[in-house]
Formats: sequence, C-alpha cells, structure tokens
Amino acid sequence: MSLIKTDAPGQRLLLMGNEAIARGALEAGVQVCAAYPGNPSSEIIGTLSQVAEELGIYVEWSVNEKVALEVAAAASLAGLRGLAAMKQNGLNVASDFLLNLNLSGSKGGLVVVVCDDPSALSSSNEEDSRAFARLADLPLLEPSGFQEAKEMTKWAFELSEELGLPCLIRSVTRVSHARGNVQLGELPKAERRARFDTSKPILPVPVIWTHRLLHEKLEKCRKRFEASEFNLYRGPQRAELLILTSGAGWMYALEAISNLGLEARVGIAKLGTTWPLPEGFLKEQLSRSTKVLFVEEVDPFLETNVKGFAAQVQEELGPKLFLGKSTGTLPDIGELTPDHLIRVLKELLEVSYEPRPATYIQEAAQAASQAAPPRTLGFCAGCPHRATYWAVKKALALDGRDGFVLGDIGCYSLGMGPAGFFQMKTLHAMGSGAGLANGFGQLGRFGLEQPVLAVCGDSTFYHAAIPALVNARYNGADFLMLILDNSATAMTGFQPHPGTGRTAMGEVANPIDIEALCRALGVRVQSADPFQLDRTVELLLDLLQDGKGVRVLVLRQECALVRGKREGRAFKVLVDQERCLGLKCGCNRLCTRVFRCPGLVWDGASGKARVDEAICTGCGVCASICPASAILKEAI
Amino acid sequence: MDQDRGLKALESLVLGRGLCTMCGACARMCPYLETFNGRIVKLHECDLQEGRCFAHCPRTALDLAALNRNRFGSEEVPLELGFQKRVLMGRGLDPGLRGKAQTGGTVSSLVALALEEGLVDAAVLTQRGKDLLPAGRIVSRREEVLECAGSSYVASPSLAALNKGPWQGHERIALVGVPCQIWALEKMRSCELNQDAPARKVVLSIGLFCTWALSYTPFVSFLRRKFPSEVVEAMDITPPPERILRIRTSSGSREVPVEEIRPFVQPACTVCADMTSELADLSVGTVEGEPGWNTLIIRTSAGESILDRALARGILEVKDLPAPNAQHLAQASMLKKRRALEAIKQMEDGKGGYLLADSRWLERVRLGTEGGEQ
Repeated sequence: MSLIKTDAPGQRLLLMGNEAIARGALEAGVQVCAAYPGNPSSEIIGTLSQVAEELGIYVEWSVNEKVALEVAAAASLAGLRGLAAMKQNGLNVASDFLLNLNLSGSKGGLVVVVCDDPSALSSSNEEDSRAFARLADLPLLEPSGFQEAKEMTKWAFELSEELGLPCLIRSVTRVSHARGNVQLGELPKAERRARFDTSKPILPVPVIWTHRLLHEKLEKCRKRFEASEFNLYRGPQRAELLILTSGAGWMYALEAISNLGLEARVGIAKLGTTWPLPEGFLKEQLSRSTKVLFVEEVDPFLETNVKGFAAQVQEELGPKLFLGKSTGTLPDIGELTPDHLIRVLKELLEVSYEPRPATYIQEAAQAASQAAPPRTLGFCAGCPHRATYWAVKKALALDGRDGFVLGDIGCYSLGMGPAGFFQMKTLHAMGSGAGLANGFGQLGRFGLEQPVLAVCGDSTFYHAAIPALVNARYNGADFLMLILDNSATAMTGFQPHPGTGRTAMGEVANPIDIEALCRALGVRVQSADPFQLDRTVELLLDLLQDGKGVRVLVLRQECALVRGKREGRAFKVLVDQERCLGLKCGCNRLCTRVFRCPGLVWDGASGKARVDEAICTGCGVCASICPASAILKEAI
Repeated sequence: MDQDRGLKALESLVLGRGLCTMCGACARMCPYLETFNGRIVKLHECDLQEGRCFAHCPRTALDLAALNRNRFGSEEVPLELGFQKRVLMGRGLDPGLRGKAQTGGTVSSLVALALEEGLVDAAVLTQRGKDLLPAGRIVSRREEVLECAGSSYVASPSLAALNKGPWQGHERIALVGVPCQIWALEKMRSCELNQDAPARKVVLSIGLFCTWALSYTPFVSFLRRKFPSEVVEAMDITPPPERILRIRTSSGSREVPVEEIRPFVQPACTVCADMTSELADLSVGTVEGEPGWNTLIIRTSAGESILDRALARGILEVKDLPAPNAQHLAQASMLKKRRALEAIKQMEDGKGGYLLADSRWLERVRLGTEGGEQ
C-alpha cells in the first residue's frame, strides 16, 4: 500500500524523495502521469500507478520518454494537469518534442521531472539535464530535500499554468532515493474535465513570434523567482566566503559547515529556482562576500550562468573571486560529498580539521568485502542473459569471422563484462545497438567481413529499436538482431511494457507480438529458448551464415526473478560429488571460473563444485555445460 | 622446458603460427577446444599450466627417439621410411570394397576384417560429410567401414572422435590416420595427464601415406567457385607425372591440375617430415605405376598379425614391392623430409617445432638429405 495517498493534512510521513515528488503532484491535482522507467526516476510513476485507480487519475508506463511527455502534454493542452518523469538520458529522447512545446506553450500545469544520476551509479552517462532548461528557455526548479521536493512539485504546476510553459524539475539520486520526513498538504477533491479548445491551435509557429513570447514568459518567470521561498540564505550578514549551491549541494554544504564550525564565517545561498536566474536575489547574496564557491552536481551550470550575470553587474558588485569546477576547486565529474567540501573549506578558511581519509571509501569497501561473498557485477542466478551470451560466445567462436555484438541499455548491458563473457562491444543509448548495426551492416561494401549482431531487450525493442529495424529492412542492412525477451523491464523494477500484457494501472492489455511485428516488416524471424544452449547455438550459426539483410532471433525466457516469484524453481540442481572430477577434470573449473553463475560455488575444501541452494534459481542451464555431466537437474 | 604447456602455449606455438595440422588430437576432451568447419576453435580462455591439448599435439615438442624406442625397441630406425618388418604391395580381393576405396581397398579390407574377427570392437575412421567436410567416425560394422572408404584430401580432425567417444564397453580400438595423427596417437598413448585416455585402447594403428592435406574452407570455396551448383561425389588424384585431381560431380567428371589446388595445402603440412606414417603398426599408400595396388609397410607385430590374418582369410593378395618402386618410395619420403627441413629453417624463431626439439634426429635428416639420392 502506498503512503502517498494518505489524506491527512499536517501528518508527517517518512517518504522517499520520489514519493514526495509524487505526493506533490497529487496535492497539485495531477490527473495524467506518464513515464518510461529509468533510475533514479522510476518510483515517481511507480508510486502513482499504485494509487491511480483509487484516486481516479490516469497513470501510464509509456513506450519511451518522448511519448510519455506527449501523453502528459496532451492532458495539459486539454486543461488538465500532467506530469512526465524520466531519467537524464530520457530527456534527450523527449527533447525533440520539448523544444517545440516550449514555443507552442502549454495550458494546464505541465511538469517534467528529470532525475539525474551524478556518478552514473545506474546510467550510461552522468549528463546534467539542467542544460535543457537554458536550451529550451524553460523554468527549472531544483529540490534540496524531501519536503521541498513535495512543495516544489506542487508549486511547479501552478507556475506552469500561470506561465503557459512546461516546468522542469531536476532531482538527483540523493534527493530521489533518500528518505526524509514530509508534512502532508491537502489532496484536492475537485477534478477537472478535459476539453481541447479547437479555436486555439497549439503551434510553435510563427517561430519569430512564439520565440519572443517565450522570452517574455521567461522574464515573467524570473520575477516570480525573485520572491520564491525556495531561494534562501543562511549565514552571517557579511561572510568570508559565500557558498552558492543548489540541489543536494545544500545538504553537503550544511554538513561541511557544521562539521568545521564555520557558521559565523561562511554563508550559504541556496537556489531552488536555477533557471532563469533570480538576478535580484543573486545580487543581494553576491554582495555578502568577495569570495564565492559554487557547489553543484554535475556541470558548472550555476557557476557559468552566475558568473555571466556577475560580469554584467561588476561595477556595482566590485571584484569577486569565483571558485568552483572551472577553477579546479571542486571536481567537475561525479557526485559531491561533504568530504569534498570539507577539504576545500578547511584550506580556504585555514581551519584545522581531520576529515576522514581520502581512502576511506576504498577501505570501507574492502572491510565490507570481508563480510560479503565475493561477487562481481553480474547477472542474477538463473538469468537468461547468461545463457544467451554463452550461446552467442560459442556461436561467434565457431563461426570464426570475428563477429561482434552491438548493445544498448538493459540488464543485458552487463554483457560488456565478465557476466556476459565480454561479448557486448558497444553501449550507448536505448536502441543504439540496432542503430549502429544499421551502419555496420552497410560496411560490407568497404571490406567489413565480420558478422554484425545487435542486441536489445524486449522493453528496449519497443522503446527505440523498431525504427532501426524498419530502417534495416528497407535499406538492406546486413545484421542479426537478437531480441532478448525476458518479459520484463527488469533492470528498472519490472514495470510493464507492451509485451507484458498489463498496463501501469494493472489492467490486462493485449500484448504486442514481437515476431508478428518483425514478420510484418518482411524480416526473417526465429525464436528460441536461450536455456536450450545447443539449439540456440545452432540457430545463431544458421542465422549468421544467412547473409544479406536483417534477420531477427527472439531469445525468449522469462526473467529469473519474475519467474522465481511466481512459481519458484523449475529444477532442483545439484552437483554429484562422485561425478565432479574437480581439478582432475581438465575442465579447469568451467562452471565456476567461466560460466560463473552465482548459484555455483567452488568448494575449496572438497576441491569440487557445488550448488549454493540459497541462490540457485533452478534454471538448470549449468547441467548442460558440465563436461563430466556432474551437474544434475531434477524436476520439482 | 620451463614454460606453459597448456592452451595458451598451444595457441602461441601452434595455432597462432599456422602449424595446426587439424588432426583433432587436442579437441573434444575438454570444453575449451572444439572443431568446426575445418578449424580448431577455442571457446574460452584456459589458464592451466599443463594440458592434454598441448601434450597431444603433433606440432609441440616430441621425443622421437623415445617414441621409436617404445614402439620398436630401437632409437636407430631407418631414416627414409622408419622402422619396418616387411614392405609389400597388396590389394583387397573383395570387389565391392575395391570399387569404393581409394586404391586397392587394402585399408577398408583390413579394418573390416579386424572388426569381423573381433580383434577390435570399434574403429576410428574418417568420413566425408555434408559440404565435403570430413570428420572422424566411430564404426563397428563392415557397412560403416565402407561408408568411410575413399579420401577427401582435406585435413580431418578425426582424433577428436577418438577423444570424445563415447567408448562405453569398447576396449580394443583400431585407428586409421595420416602421419600427423599417428604421431599424435603415440603422444596421446604416452601422455601422463590421462591414464584413461581412449588412445590407450588403440590396438591397431593403420597409417596412411600423406604428402599434404588441404585446408577445408579455402578448398571448398574454390570448388564452389569453379563448379557452382555441382555436388561433389568422389575425388581422386592421379599419380605423377600426371597429378590431376579428378572429381566426380552430380554433372559428370571434372579435372583440376594439382597445381591449382596447391595454394590450399595447409601451412602445417610444409614442416611435416613424415610421408609414410612411420609410427603406425602398418602403413598403406599407393604404388606408382601399378593402378589398383597399395604399398604396405609392416612395422609391428600387431601390423604383421592383421596382415597374416587377412592373407589366411583370402581377403588380401600381396606380392613383393619391386626394387625400383621401393627406391622411388624412399626417394619421395626423403624429398618430403628435405622440404620440411627447408621450411623449418625458414621459420623465424623455430620455437617449439617438433623437429627442432629433437636435434639429433634433425641432424640425421640433414645428413641424410645431403648424403642421399644425389
């Protein structure tokens, strides 16, 4: 049961940042919410989907972020309030629409929450999505905590409605995924009726006119920001150093100053509204000190913009020393920590303090590793992707033409490492494996003799690979596309997608048949169960040899976690200790050294392999790789 | 030698230098080496310091003196043709067999006899399969022997079949192979790493004469280019001086001068100094100028015993090999050794080549080739 629908104004609840954002949207009366899942944003729509039916709102897991934004925007254009959520990469997908919508404008409150992932803890990049606010001339808010995340979201709807512009909220992992107390507000009782006013088309043209209008809206926004309670200053009237910060930087700055006891010497100006800049507020803060340190994640967004503004008003403000990423004072990549700040402040203000050593993180990780079993980043026990990459590796080796796999985003991205036997050779955006294969698949004319393979998951297929497949079929790109259908958007938390037969609201839907879709394009398509290794290798070899044009192989086996939850183990798997020859086998510990399913362990005492029953999910694939037939699978 | 003797070494010293003969001795014992479309394929990295793959390979270091001592009780064997008890010419008397076999049907007759007489339970032979791809086959019946008759001239990893089995209940095995396979067989038999190796159950080895073998993929591509949409049914190379590859295809008879296919000879064959399978129980080749007759070199008592049995059963007829033929055979064998010596010399570093590991034998070849036949 989700807490976010609790109808008890004034009550304080422990909420995750993403739940606070969802609650803020509910308090604002949001009626349409859409997203494509992606860490660290997934819980926003995930939480809303759990309460959708009861609260009478519409929540959708869309096929991709652009469609999600379009779905939410449609609500806005019909006078309702709409929310779209995504991770930083998702905004790139949605940006094409966003950079027209800014000109056409919106009607009902429209909020786009983008959760950035500094240090790329679960991403393929750590881009700073704030650049889009400037690029699109759109208002940008950055919450620094949990209560603020809720209040800011609620306010963003009002602001959006007032300006007729979509409003961006930028969160980061430490705001979205941490938990804190949030005091609830009222949930609105009235619901709006949707209607599209056909007398007023929503168009970005004529651009010269709409662009000017957009700038006027932004100017109006700036004035509203001047008075925003999300911008605040804490510290002495005049400070030896002014910290200018936003987002999670606020928490790090508070902690650093408190640890060093610098409350009387250092001031912190926190911006909740980071684009357009609240210039009056900024001028007032900048006048407090001649030294300014910018604290923000990831790019020097405030730093660059504020320095630009300061240059305009330098005669009034006088000379300033600006410190931040551009001066090398703070790192220009990765997440910040209080330690980063402590080191800088200690030096700037000449205070003595012994922060934890720089090697603390490594030492902590090492200490933790003593207690936890050694495991590399890899697939779960029983994961079908392990079997898939095992078969791909064998087929490519047998084929012998140095074929290679182009990949993209999903659990199967781990195919780039030991879990997938290093088979995946490229990793970029959703659908980029298939996209790159379109190009590689045309290079035969320039001497490329290697077979080209693309890999994508089922959810990624619907998200971004279909246009690439259409392109390949029409233009005759020569490659083999593997669709790893594990019947789940597994990496982000099992959200439904068009192949799963359920919607975000839990309704039954007619799944889209991948094979039928491929066949309709006129593509040779085959299916196999990757757990049947020999059959899969055979099919792969056949498809690899079948040159010319794009071929599709759907490798279908349900995610081990989904299957495990529903029906438990398919097999009881055990290693026959008589048959396992251990080091005498000549297999050189194939099962635990090469195959490396975490369900198999090497028992140093007996010098043989055994199954870790707590971890094994009973897929039984390892039984077919043991050369001594020592791994037995018994039907349960 | 203080270096790895595992898969990594096999890769760097043999596979990576084009010295693999495709004999199959390293394949299908472990999950790491497989044979596929005329190649030895490494499926995974293996870091064992010592492996059967390396130990079995006919192109890794080999103590020929020791092998000769084990086989024949003497290290000093004749240089030209190896240890021999008798040299004869013979042919099978079963017309059904002779029609299918390459030359005189001698090998097929002997293997069929060995099975029928219960001298062996099974034999490892080579059969040309789909798309001309040859592979080892385990047979135990006469009809199966017939299906394996004839040569494909393409290197076949037949020893992989010996490695893989299955060998349930088979205790006595016959094996027919080319010289590199017979060398590998002897290494397998004496390999300390596996006392249960199927090779130790081989009681009869019949070695074929061999001047070279072709690499599968380039040769088959050549045939496809040359005779598109024709199915090859049989192949034979006529003896010198003609030296023509005669191919019977679905559309009739085709002829290709041997010079045209020479580019597809395996690089590994150029360093081979054994034409007559000198370590076999008995060796069989063709007799030049005597169509339908085989040369037989009987080397061991096992070889002698199967021959005697065949003669007693009237399966084979034999006569003495005329002196000019015997002399010609010795010259051809020495020619192969001399060419091998040249090829070895041209190899850059010479590391790990089997001949270089045995300097005494090498020296004998050198002296032999310089002193002989001029």
